[in-house]
Amino acid sequence: MFTRPIRVAACQAVTGFGPVEATLDGLLAGRTALRPHPVLGTDGGDAVPLALLPGRAYADTAPPAWIADLRALVATLPSGDWGTARRPVIVTSSNFGVGSMYAYRRFGDAAHLAYGTPAACVDWIARELGWGPNVTTFSHACVSAHLGLLHASRLLDAGLADAVLAFSFDFLSPFVVGGFHALKILNAHLPAPYAARDTGSIGLGDGAAWAVLTRDEGDFALSGQALYNEMHHFTANEPSGSGFAACLQTVHAAARGRRVWLKGHGTGTLEAGRLESQAFASLWPDAPLVSWKGGLGHTLGSCGLVELALAIAAIRRGRAPGTVGAAAPGFTAEVAFEPLDLSAHDAVVCASNAFGGAHAAFLLSHA
Amino acid sequence: MLERYVTALSTDDAGVETPAETRERLRDHFARGATRRMTQLGMLLGARLRTTAPTADDTLVYLSAYAETRALEGYLESFPTASPTLFQTSIHPSAVQQFMIGQHQPARQFFPLAGRDHGVAQALTVALLGDGPAVVCGGEERGTWLLEQNAASDRTFAFSFRLGVDPAGAVARVTLSPSPTDGYAPEACPLPDFFDALVARRQLAWNTPAGPRLVWQWLAP
Repeated sequence: MFTRPIRVAACQAVTGFGPVEATLDGLLAGRTALRPHPVLGTDGGDAVPLALLPGRAYADTAPPAWIADLRALVATLPSGDWGTARRPVIVTSSNFGVGSMYAYRRFGDAAHLAYGTPAACVDWIARELGWGPNVTTFSHACVSAHLGLLHASRLLDAGLADAVLAFSFDFLSPFVVGGFHALKILNAHLPAPYAARDTGSIGLGDGAAWAVLTRDEGDFALSGQALYNEMHHFTANEPSGSGFAACLQTVHAAARGRRVWLKGHGTGTLEAGRLESQAFASLWPDAPLVSWKGGLGHTLGSCGLVELALAIAAIRRGRAPGTVGAAAPGFTAEVAFEPLDLSAHDAVVCASNAFGGAHAAFLLSHA
Repeated sequence: MLERYVTALSTDDAGVETPAETRERLRDHFARGATRRMTQLGMLLGARLRTTAPTADDTLVYLSAYAETRALEGYLESFPTASPTLFQTSIHPSAVQQFMIGQHQPARQFFPLAGRDHGVAQALTVALLGDGPAVVCGGEERGTWLLEQNAASDRTFAFSFRLGVDPAGAVARVTLSPSPTDGYAPEACPLPDFFDALVARRQLAWNTPAGPRLVWQWLAP
């Protein structure tokens, strides 16, 4: 795919547990950051499991208060002219500032609209964080972050950039929480990814992350990246699981000879979880499969980058969290509910899925 | 320098046409009854994509600054009883998915962008860096109450074209090459301006925020 693997020079993320190390501690301990919150916040509604960033109120202000969390996140970023010609920024999100649209509609204050559309939101963030104009914005629901990683890799491989900042965020609001609740996959129950049970359920979480990608700096490498869009149905997968297989086969080829572990999408829905786990087991029999969304909630468009940062931290520590919130029996024998000792593994496949039968995956290993 | 040739260019300038008018005008492009569930932008893009016919191996690139404005407005109006249908329809890139799902047409690589001033340059860059042939599409639909607050497009339009390496039958050539000057000043090319240039067959050349210069050169009369 590329002339040589693309390196991850640095990365960081923040979740409902806090920064990456605190998140990894929480997941390894089998804890969840999900807490019950009313769907509509102060306007009430059913209680559903949400993992908000520590201290963040579930309400949109103008400007959105989460900009403080993004400022804190980028304070850990290597300095240097981001958004200039040779150092582009790629911003990915599913929601951007759409919570501000809801706040405008609910409270009538037009000040919210300055952050509501994707373009307005990204322009504002770029100004706040001091980025130049070289900012590309992708939005493809819950595989958004993967698009950013792949395009960043192509820019580097083509010699059009020296380093690329891949940046992703999604903050919960009644807009998106209300939507998933209306679809009935976000309910009162905590998610139990890949667990064979009667009722599926997901949790949602705030998430933000960045990664600096380069051609030759950094201890970790992305040596295989794949996308696939089934276009079978908006909210259901092709029932044979062919979409999962089509995406993962590309990464499987890149992983030949590797001893992989698998970090799946695993939101807690039943049909997608069954198809995903079966596709993984078919291509990598005996490779352990985990999902972390039972602890983090589903961080939507940011999940690919948030979980990349977590996977790197896990590899550095030599232990990866298991499938938090779930218990046997799993959909396949490979589903791992307890933390993994990574000494027997030398690479991880990370996958995400989205509405429209969108699939994305990458292979991550030491460079 | 990256170079591709444009074929199968298709545009639709619907202006201030209402969704009902668009539905009536374009109903023959879709299966019977299908347009009832489609947004205005979905119908416009679907009709254009039918002419460019993306295959599973094309890199599909989509640009819209505002995307599904009417569905977004409707979804926001549905609270406190949120509409599941309008929720999923309001999500970027639903307009393209409405057509592709209707056709059961998979797409290996699909890059939906949401840029404004530099979105066209970035979308073309994504297409030029793709693995092979690309289909590029884009558009907007006119808002209602969000437009009154300058948070939506004031016009409705859509386009689609193919990008490939074969000059046979091409109507235009697109190149991305180093800027001729040492210093560079990125120039904006908003989506409506780009669309107008496509319709009027105006040459386009501008400095992208990444440095290289994009040139759209018409080849055929």
